[in-house]
Amino acid sequence: MNSRERVLAHLEGRPVDRLPLMPITMMFACAQIGARYRDYCCDYRVLAEGQIQTAGSFGFDYVNTMSDPAREAADCGARVEYFDSQPVALVEDDALLADKKRLATLKIPDPLGGGRMHNGIKAVALLKERVGREKIVEGWVEGPIAEGADLRGINTLMTDFFDDPAFVRDLFDFVVELELRFAREQVRAGADVIGVGDAAASLVGPQVYAEFVWPAEKRLVAGIQEMGAKVRLHICGNTRRILNGMGRLGCEIVDLDSLAPLAEARREMGPNQVLLGNLNPVTVLRNGTPEQVTGAVAQCHQDAGSRFIVGAGCEVPRDTPPENLRALCAYAHQHKP
Amino acid sequence: MTDLKKLYEAVVNGDAKAAHAITQQALAEGVDPLVLVNQHMIPAMDEVGRRFEASEYFVPELLIAARAMKSALDLIRPLLVARGDKPVGRVAIGTVKGDLHDIGKNLVASLLEGGGFEVIDLGVNVPPEKFIETVREKQANIVAMSALLTTTMPAMKTTIDALKQAGVRNQVKVLVGGAPITEKYAEEIGADGYSENAVGAVALAKKVVAA
Ligand code: B12
Repeated sequence: MNSRERVLAHLEGRPVDRLPLMPITMMFACAQIGARYRDYCCDYRVLAEGQIQTAGSFGFDYVNTMSDPAREAADCGARVEYFDSQPVALVEDDALLADKKRLATLKIPDPLGGGRMHNGIKAVALLKERVGREKIVEGWVEGPIAEGADLRGINTLMTDFFDDPAFVRDLFDFVVELELRFAREQVRAGADVIGVGDAAASLVGPQVYAEFVWPAEKRLVAGIQEMGAKVRLHICGNTRRILNGMGRLGCEIVDLDSLAPLAEARREMGPNQVLLGNLNPVTVLRNGTPEQVTGAVAQCHQDAGSRFIVGAGCEVPRDTPPENLRALCAYAHQHKP
Repeated sequence: MTDLKKLYEAVVNGDAKAAHAITQQALAEGVDPLVLVNQHMIPAMDEVGRRFEASEYFVPELLIAARAMKSALDLIRPLLVARGDKPVGRVAIGTVKGDLHDIGKNLVASLLEGGGFEVIDLGVNVPPEKFIETVREKQANIVAMSALLTTTMPAMKTTIDALKQAGVRNQVKVLVGGAPITEKYAEEIGADGYSENAVGAVALAKKVVAA
């Protein structure tokens, strides 16, 4: 069975020859091909090359188009800053929706309009063409609170939940529509899985999550699934207080960061949820030894049980020793679920 | 007489309007502004910090509480200045070069203000030269740096080295913080102190200026 067949079978609960392997690499993949990170973010050919080389040499079961959180916001007209060796970033002091009234006139940009989203869609298409028969192609969209924060400014959005709930709902409606359009074009271009990154969700408590974030995430997830793609939810940080809600979104894959114990997630989400993660990317994967990595991933496997995909808690850091990442990969290559 | 317990509650609940109104009333009644700060607002922020540690509060609750405290401070600060109270110290704070995570830094800045410090907020992605300039031109006696990325942590050391190079290292105390920073790392790079949270940052700042 090839990588693509393996992941799809595992998600459907059919038997597989070994554990699927889907760690997130961005800056690491870029460093593998000696490219500038600026180009990885802005030129889909560089991104595709980095992903294909890295997935090939480490034996990943998938490739992924994530590079930075600013694709959608940039196309909406938000001010972003480009760096040579760092992800593209939003300029929060000059947030697009610093004035809330602008939301009423803000138009959803055409994902195929030649902007940064279009570049991401081209990356999906190129990956599909080059490795799509063999590997899973994963596209990427920002989740409602992450994208809401990108447009409004994260510090301000945090207080909007209390100051102006109606605005937050309107903002999330806009964002869900935007992300669904972006996702649709990625699915059309060949994405099997859409990753939904909703990092800022780990900053809010269970009440704000349930009242504002969950309903918007649910619409986004359901919408992507209607397009025929699978969803991988990734929320960076400590999500212990919202695990139950995350489980009820019905995502095919829930990808957990190292601060959210897999055993707890298993309890909260039931026996059937496929869990991915969650080695500490810094203290274990980057700073540890290959033996420590093997020990940690074995523990993850034990905590998650058989509905498990191997990966780190978040992005594999750029300067991770290759032998450590190889130890992570070897575990997947050598173990059955 | 105004019930000052209400000020405590307003801060804990993040009610900026109430905090402002109660402070205004109390000041009109002649309550010493420092009593408001030390006996009501600081204990309130301690409680907010405790709730955060206990996962009862999250970042939005922290930010509205800090905002409530600031709305009261806006009334209090001019009074302290007018009567000649000196700030406890002058802090130049920022996230280090390459780092854009500022939520934690903003909280630390607010609480330091609440604790009686004058805070010069240099924002995000602050290069060493900017810290040096602020120490020289604004006579800051504390440099507080925040980093959330393992890739930007080394910029703390670079900044400390640059302060030395510029000959101003011994005029200032250097405090560091942010999720990946540890006590041990702070020691290694020659910082004067580390705290894992914003409430601790105030106690730490007070300790180093007194030393
Ligand atoms: C919000 C967030 C973002 C936002 C930041 C917006 C903003 N204006 O701040 C955005 C989307 C921009 C972002 C971008 C990135 N992020 Co980010 N982000 C986070 C997140 C979700 C929360 C951080 C936060 O605000 N915590 C809450 C505050 C209150 O905590 P705090 O900052 O630690 O502060 C407290 C203490 O540390 C202390 N403190 C803080 N500063 C100081 C200073 C002093 C002097 C003292 C004494 C104390 C002190 O007091 C504070 C209050 O108690 C974390 C994951 C998580 N949940 O932790 C990832 C995280 C920090 N990000 C991460 C990464 C990798 C990135 C990106 C590189 C991702 C990418 N590839 O695009 C970029 C880099 C951008 C850049 N150049 O900085 C990683 C860092 C991994 C690592 N260790 O290196 C994390 C841990 C996620 C993960 N698991 O991988 N991110």
